[in-house]
Amino acid sequence: MIQAKSPKQRRKDSTRAEIVKPKSGPRLAKSVKRLQQQAPLLAFQGLSELSVRLRQLTGRDVIDLNRVMEFAQFMYKQRELAVRGPNYEVDDFGFDPQWTESFISVFMVLYRDYWRVETTGVENVPATGRALLVSNHAGVLPWDGTMIKTAVFAEHSHPRHVRALVASLFMGMPMLSWFLRRTGQTSGHPDDTRRLLERDELVLVFPEGVRGTGKSFKDRYQLRRFGRGGFVATAIRSGAPIIPVSVVGSEEIYPMVADLAPVAKFFGLPYFPITPFWPWLGPLGLIPLPSKWHIRFHSPIHVEEHPPEAADDNNLVMALSDQVRDTIQQGIYDNLKLRRGVFL
Amino acid sequence: MSLQRPNRVLITGVSNPLGAEVARRLAPQVPYLFGCDMKDPISALEEMDFVHADTRHVAIGKLVRQLNVDTIVHLAVMVDSPRDERSIHETNVIGMMNVLAGCSAPSGRVRRLIVKSSQAIYGAGPGDPSFFSEEMTNVERQASSVTRDLLDMEQLVTEFALRNESSKVSVLRLGYRVSEDTTLARYLSLPIVPTFAGFDPRLQLLHEDDAAEAIVRAVMGGPAGVFNVAAGGVVLLSQAIAIMGGSPAPILPPYGRWIGRLALRALTRVEVQAHLADVIAFGSVMDCSRLEAEFGWKPAHSSRAVMDGLARGKVLEVIEAPSPPQEYELQVYLQRRRRNGRNGQRTASMLEAHK
Repeated sequence: MIQAKSPKQRRKDSTRAEIVKPKSGPRLAKSVKRLQQQAPLLAFQGLSELSVRLRQLTGRDVIDLNRVMEFAQFMYKQRELAVRGPNYEVDDFGFDPQWTESFISVFMVLYRDYWRVETTGVENVPATGRALLVSNHAGVLPWDGTMIKTAVFAEHSHPRHVRALVASLFMGMPMLSWFLRRTGQTSGHPDDTRRLLERDELVLVFPEGVRGTGKSFKDRYQLRRFGRGGFVATAIRSGAPIIPVSVVGSEEIYPMVADLAPVAKFFGLPYFPITPFWPWLGPLGLIPLPSKWHIRFHSPIHVEEHPPEAADDNNLVMALSDQVRDTIQQGIYDNLKLRRGVFL
Repeated sequence: MSLQRPNRVLITGVSNPLGAEVARRLAPQVPYLFGCDMKDPISALEEMDFVHADTRHVAIGKLVRQLNVDTIVHLAVMVDSPRDERSIHETNVIGMMNVLAGCSAPSGRVRRLIVKSSQAIYGAGPGDPSFFSEEMTNVERQASSVTRDLLDMEQLVTEFALRNESSKVSVLRLGYRVSEDTTLARYLSLPIVPTFAGFDPRLQLLHEDDAAEAIVRAVMGGPAGVFNVAAGGVVLLSQAIAIMGGSPAPILPPYGRWIGRLALRALTRVEVQAHLADVIAFGSVMDCSRLEAEFGWKPAHSSRAVMDGLARGKVLEVIEAPSPPQEYELQVYLQRRRRNGRNGQRTASMLEAHK
């Protein structure tokens, strides 16, 4: 066998080990240190005993230990992230999977306890390979995107990260641009869609765009125009099946009664919503209402069966776009019938 | 293919570090090597004839014809320079025009032209695609002066390539480099780095060695066309700052780029140009697949490795100085003696320009 590296080369390539200095300052007694290390464990033991006692007393679960464990997991993950320093890799789009996964428990609380999302048809999402998820867009803030991402990550047998495309407007906003990029979103440029699909990613698009999120409450669950069918052309070109997704419940989180267009224009926003709570209650008005959500993943439309040249066939593209739109609209009506009330 | 091999090569802007490196690598590979710049080269190269010449002057065209070169490597392009806008414009646009005047047919004998351009040609903005491919230069936005100059310069080159089909023209858009003296490196090396609040863009870098290697490969039979040259992968700005051992301070206002630039200059005395300020806010990443496909080569160092290398250099504290004056004199003496032995007549006039 040929030696891969000579010792000299290895010495040359090696980097010097980092010298870790012991912390200076007053030292704690060993017994105190041990107690400090064991504190989380002792707290858990105490809490579990308390929960058992309470259960014996009241006959039902007062403290849900699973939730407590989730919270502890979240804290540990955050600590892990804090110590990793700059030693992590992001992909070319700036996506940091470890960082994103650390927030999943926060979104799970919203998903499971706040909006009580019922997801059906998640098996239609392929476990591997590329696919384009197409969904309706509603609610003033794009919470539907985060819920679809959470649904695929939490409910699918092969947890996958969905990469959503957002309007370039949000990529210019401080904080938001940083958070969106870091959690795997990119700007909604056709070129980006193609690149993501070529890397066999799961891409989520909202063809309605801000027309969907900015529609008023009386127009709820009526789909807007689906762009110019660009998403279908991109899917055909990169050979990805289209999976329509219907989301019900997102329309009621911020019932938008009016749109102050001049104010929106002044701030460079697409719309400036007036809801019963915003802007009257200040930041409290940003809290979404706890409506009941249904998410349905429809069976895939296999546009990849068309040859790539078909993407230039406007007639076909518009027909497929209409088919996707009708599927989503039908799914919304079906789910609305299933729902007993807005908040039930 | 022997026709394609470069015979007489002229490197403009040979005195900047990149030019010196390219000259050093080309010297053993080409029969005749000429270099020109305004200031003295950092280290004298025995195989290279050095001429003091300014590309902003029309005389450069005459020089090109007189030297009878068949290949020009145009590196006298200022992107990251503390000089004022006007002189940058003169160098980039007027300099390019003069060089092209020297090459143009029918009397010109230049068959190969390699032009250094920069990633700065794309600028950076929130509405940009995540990756710039070579055609994406005409993004509608108020371009910074450097971007505008580079666009003008490449326009000239494109027109030249269309008119002179006998000459092969390659434009290399080099990514941002972080050797010790670039603005980006100085910015990232600050102990506390002021960043634009709420932004953590992706940075794509290019190692100096890779930049030189790309140019050398282009000279030695590279294909014609426009190419993005940058390292694979990206690093986040916060990551880069942490690698350098500093800590980011998100204190610059997220809107109003020029206020941020003024604040940065006042706080840290690092003058960040407009196009670089946009990059620090929004990030800019190029797609280098065309380079990989047509050159059959890609940069050896990833962005992350470039950043690690810079950090290591900072720790080691480079003590090596550019070659001492005695050595320089010796090199010049040796060069003169060698030349005079070979054909004293021709080079004597050239060395006059040197003095």
